[in-house]
Amino acid sequence: MKLKHVTGLLSAAAMSIALAGAAVAQDKVVKIGAILPMSGGTASIGAHAKAAIEVALDIINNAHPELGKLPLAKNAGLAGLGGAKVEVIFADNQGSPATGQNQALRLITEEKVAAILGAYQSGITLTSSAIAEKYGIPYLTPESVAANLTERGFKWFFRTTPIAPDFVRIYDEFLTDMKAAGGKTDSIALVHDNTEYGTSVANTIAAGFKEKGRTNVIDVAYPVNATDLQAQVLQLKEKKPDVLLMISYTSDAILFAKTMQSQDYKPPILLADDAGYSDPSFIKAVGKISQGVFNRSAWAVGPAGSPSAIVADMYKKKSGEEMEDTVGREMQGFFVLVDAIDRAGSTDPAKIQAALKATDLKPDQLIMGYKGVKFDDKGQNVLASAYIIQLQDGENYVSVWPKANAEKPPMLPYKGW
Amino acid sequence: MSFVLVQVIVGGLLLGAVYALFSSGLTLVWGMMNIVNFAHGDFVMLGMYVAYVVYTLFGGGPIFGAPLATLVLATLGVVVYFGLIRGIMKGPMLAQILGTFGLALLLRYSVFWWFGANFLSLPQDIVGGTYAFAGLRVEASRLLAGIVALLVTLALHLLLTRSSLGSKMLAVAEDATAAQLMGIRPDTMQAIAWAIAAGATGLAGALIANFFYIVPTVGETLAIVAFVTVSLGGFGSVPGALVAGLLIGVIESLSGYLIGAVYKDIVVYLLFLFFLWFRPQGLMGKS
Amino acid sequence: MRRLLWPSVFAAFAIAYPLLLSSPFQQRLGALVLLYAIAASAWNIVGGYAGQVSVGHAVFFGCGAYAAMGSYAKFGLSPLFGIPGGIVLAVGLAAIVGVPTLRLSGHYFSMATIAVAETMRLIVTNTDYVGAAVGLSGPTVARNVFDLSFISALPYYYLFLTVLAITLFITWWMTNSRMGFYLRAIKDSERAARSLGAPASRTKLYAFMLSAGLTSVAGALYAMMFGFVDPESGLGILISVKILIMAALGGAGLLFGPLVGAAILVPLEEISNNVLGGKGAGLTFVVYGAIIVLIARFQPGGILSLIQRHLRKDARPAGQGGADHAP
Repeated sequence: MKLKHVTGLLSAAAMSIALAGAAVAQDKVVKIGAILPMSGGTASIGAHAKAAIEVALDIINNAHPELGKLPLAKNAGLAGLGGAKVEVIFADNQGSPATGQNQALRLITEEKVAAILGAYQSGITLTSSAIAEKYGIPYLTPESVAANLTERGFKWFFRTTPIAPDFVRIYDEFLTDMKAAGGKTDSIALVHDNTEYGTSVANTIAAGFKEKGRTNVIDVAYPVNATDLQAQVLQLKEKKPDVLLMISYTSDAILFAKTMQSQDYKPPILLADDAGYSDPSFIKAVGKISQGVFNRSAWAVGPAGSPSAIVADMYKKKSGEEMEDTVGREMQGFFVLVDAIDRAGSTDPAKIQAALKATDLKPDQLIMGYKGVKFDDKGQNVLASAYIIQLQDGENYVSVWPKANAEKPPMLPYKGW
Repeated sequence: MSFVLVQVIVGGLLLGAVYALFSSGLTLVWGMMNIVNFAHGDFVMLGMYVAYVVYTLFGGGPIFGAPLATLVLATLGVVVYFGLIRGIMKGPMLAQILGTFGLALLLRYSVFWWFGANFLSLPQDIVGGTYAFAGLRVEASRLLAGIVALLVTLALHLLLTRSSLGSKMLAVAEDATAAQLMGIRPDTMQAIAWAIAAGATGLAGALIANFFYIVPTVGETLAIVAFVTVSLGGFGSVPGALVAGLLIGVIESLSGYLIGAVYKDIVVYLLFLFFLWFRPQGLMGKS
Repeated sequence: MRRLLWPSVFAAFAIAYPLLLSSPFQQRLGALVLLYAIAASAWNIVGGYAGQVSVGHAVFFGCGAYAAMGSYAKFGLSPLFGIPGGIVLAVGLAAIVGVPTLRLSGHYFSMATIAVAETMRLIVTNTDYVGAAVGLSGPTVARNVFDLSFISALPYYYLFLTVLAITLFITWWMTNSRMGFYLRAIKDSERAARSLGAPASRTKLYAFMLSAGLTSVAGALYAMMFGFVDPESGLGILISVKILIMAALGGAGLLFGPLVGAAILVPLEEISNNVLGGKGAGLTFVVYGAIIVLIARFQPGGILSLIQRHLRKDARPAGQGGADHAP
C-alpha cells in the first residue's frame, strides 16, 4: 500500500512537472523587432510589409502542413524551442535615420527582442543596424540594397536580398537573350531618381554594363517625387534608346507612364528595376497603359496549390493586395531569421548569429525565386537572384525569364496602351 | 528653335498654370491676413481626395468632383478660420507657423488613417485623351487645369478690384478697426476670404487629380512650389501668382530639358533669390 | 536670489536626470531633448530675439553634420573636428546669405531662407564628393574615445548638457550686452531703431552668424550620435521646421523657451511613436499635430510665457496681478 502510494505520488509529481514544462514551453514567446516605414512618403510599403510579416507569423505559429517543405510551416510554433510562439513588435522609422536608430534601441533594451528585421530605406538600415551591432543583436535586412551596408565589417548583420551587382548580371543575361530573340538592345538609357536607391543602383549598373561591353549607355537622372516629367520623356523620345531601364519609386513610375502616353513615346523595351513598378498601386493606376513592361522580381505565384500560390492567397486575404516582390522579399527575410532562431534552439544572440551563419536553405524551402540562402563572411546572401516578369495583360505580371521559370514567353516590343 | 523646344515650353506653360492655380488661394490669405499657411499643400491634397471619392462612389469625373471639392474645402476653410486662424491671427508669426504646421500634420495623417498610404490615381482618360495640334501634344486634363487657372485668376482679380465684397475684404485687410467703424464685420469678411481661398485650393486639387497621383503626402511635394510661386509673385497679388507660376513652369521645363532634371529646382531657387535681391516685394507685390 | 531659484532647480534636475531615469532609452531621450534644445536655442538668437523667422536653419545644421561626418569619411579624423569645421562653414555661409536676405522683411525673409536651404540640399544631393544621396557615415566601430561612438547615451547626455549650458550662457550674455539692447529695439520697430542710430543691419547679421555657428554645433553633435548624415536628415526642410516649432512652442525670445519646447516635443514625438507608430495607421502624427494646433491656438506665445505669467503673478502683491493677463 505504502509503496503504491509513494509511486502514485511520484508519478503525479512527474506528470505535473511534465505538464508544467509543457505549459512553460507553450507560454514561451520569442520576440522579434521589425523596423519599417509606416508613415511618410514610403508608408504604403511599410503597411504591405507589415501584412506580409503577419501572414508569415500565421504560418509559423500555426500548423500549415499544406506548405510542404517551407521551414516552420508544418507544426505550430518553433519546434527547436519547444513549440514557442513568435511575436513581432513593429516600429515606425518615420523615414528618418535618427528615428530608426531610436526605435532599434527601444526594441533591444525595452522590448528585449531576440533579433531585428529592418528597415527598408538603406540609410535607416545603416543607422539602426549600428545599434544592433553595438549591443550584439542579430540584424537582418530583407530589402535594403546599398552596397556599403555589408562593407562595414559588422558581425551581426545579414542581408537576404539580391543587390545591384546581381542586377547587372540578371539584366545583362536577359538583354542578351532578348537580342537573340530578335529584340534591339544596343543602346540603353538608365532613367533613375536622385535618391540613394536610384543613384547607387544606376551607378553600379552603368559600371557593370561597361565591364560587360555594353558601352552605349546614357544616364537620365530626375528629382524624386517630380511634379512634371515631360522634359525627360521628350529627351528620351529624341535620343531613341533601344532599352529604357527605369529605376524609380511608385510616384514617379506612375507619372512617367502617364507622361509617356500623353507624349506618345514607346521604347522598344521598357525594363524596370523593381521598386515602384512592383507596387500594386502602380498596376491599378497605370497598368493598362504600361502593357509589356518588364520588371525584376524574385517573386512568382507559381501553379495553383503550390506553396507560393497558397502564401499569395493568404496575403491577399490579409491585405487586399496582390503579393509582389517587395513584400515577398520582406517575408522571405523574416522566414530566414526565424528559421535560424529555430535551429539555434535558443534566443541567445550568439547562438542565433551562429545559426544564421550556418544557414543553407535550398530553393524548394523558399517562397522567393532565390537560388538558395547562404551568407558569406560579410553577411550577404550569395545565392540571391531574381526573375524577369512582364505585365502582359495590364493586370498581372507573369514570369517570362529565365526560360526554366517562365510561365509565358516574353512579348516584344513594348506595347504600352 | 527646334520643334521639341516648343513642346517643352508649352508643357512648361501648362505646368506653370497648374502652379498658379494651386497658389492663388495661398496668396489670397497670405496677402489679406498676413498668414503663412503651412497646411496649404494639404488643402490641395484634400481636394484631390474629394475628387477621388466622387469618382469611386459615383463614377463622376471633374464635372462633379471639382465643384464638390470646392464646396467641401470652402467649408473646411471657414471651420479652420473660426477654429484656429482667428485665435492666432493677432499672435506672432511663429504661432501661425506652429498652428498651420500642426494643422498640416493633422489633416495629412487623418487622411492617411482613413484611406491608407497607397498611391491612388484617376483613369488616364477621365477628361478625354490627348490633343495633337500640328504635332504638339497636350493632355486634355492639363489643358482643362490651365484654362481653369486663368479663369480663377481672372475671377479672383475681378472680385478684389471690382466688387463691393472685394473692397470690403481689402478694407479689412488694410485696417480691421477702421473697417469695423464703417460697419464692415472683419470676422465675416475674413471667414469669406478663407472660404474663397480654400475653395480655390480644393478646386485646384480636384483638377490636378486628373493627371497626377494621389497620396496623403502629396501636399509636401506641392507646398514648397506654392510658397515660391506666391513669394515670387508678391504676397496677395493674384495676377502676380499667375505670372510667377507660368515663369517657374517654363523655367523648370526648359532647365529640365536643357541642363538636366535634377538641377531644375536649383535653377528655380537661385532665380527666386536673385529676384528678391532686386525686388524684395516680389514681382507684383506692393512695396 | 529668487530669480535663480527655478533655474538652479532645473539645472540640478538636468544633471541628475540620467541617474534618476536610467534605462538606455530614457537616457537617449534626455540626450535628444538637449540636442534639440541646443539647435532651438541657437535658432532663438535670430528667430526669437531678432525676430527674423528663419525657416532654413537646416542649412547650418547640415554644415555641422557634414563637417563632422566628412572629417571622418574624407580625412579619417575624429568627427570632433567637425565642430570647428562646421562653425567656420556655417558662419561663412551665414555672412554670405545674411547680407542680401536680412534686409527682406517678414515672410520674404522666411521664404528666402527656405530657398537657400533647399538649394543647398539639392546641391549636396547631386554632389558625389559629399556622398550625394547616399550620405556620409561616421566610424562604425570606435577607434578611440575621440570617435565619440558610444553604446550608452550617457556621454552624449553630459556632452550635450555642457554645450547647451554654453549656448544658453552666450545667449544670456548677448541679451544683456549692447547687441541685445539693439536687437530688442529692432524687433519692436526696425525703423525706430535705425533712426535712433542702432546699426540694425550689422546687428542682425551678427545675430544671424552667431545663431548659424551654434546651430552647426548641434548638427555636428547630431551626426556624431547617429553616426550618419544624408541630405534629408541633415539639410531637409523638416529639420528647419522642427527647430523652429520647438522654439515657438516653448517660447521664442525667452532664454529657456526652446529648452521647454524641446522638453515637451521630443518626448511627445518619441513616446507617441513608441505607442502608436507600430500600428501603422498614422495616428502618431494625428496626435502630435493636434497637440501642436491646440498649443498654438490657446497659447500663441509659447508654453513658457504662460508659466512666467503665473510666476510673476505669484510674486506680485495681490490686486496687481490681473493687469498682466492678455485681454
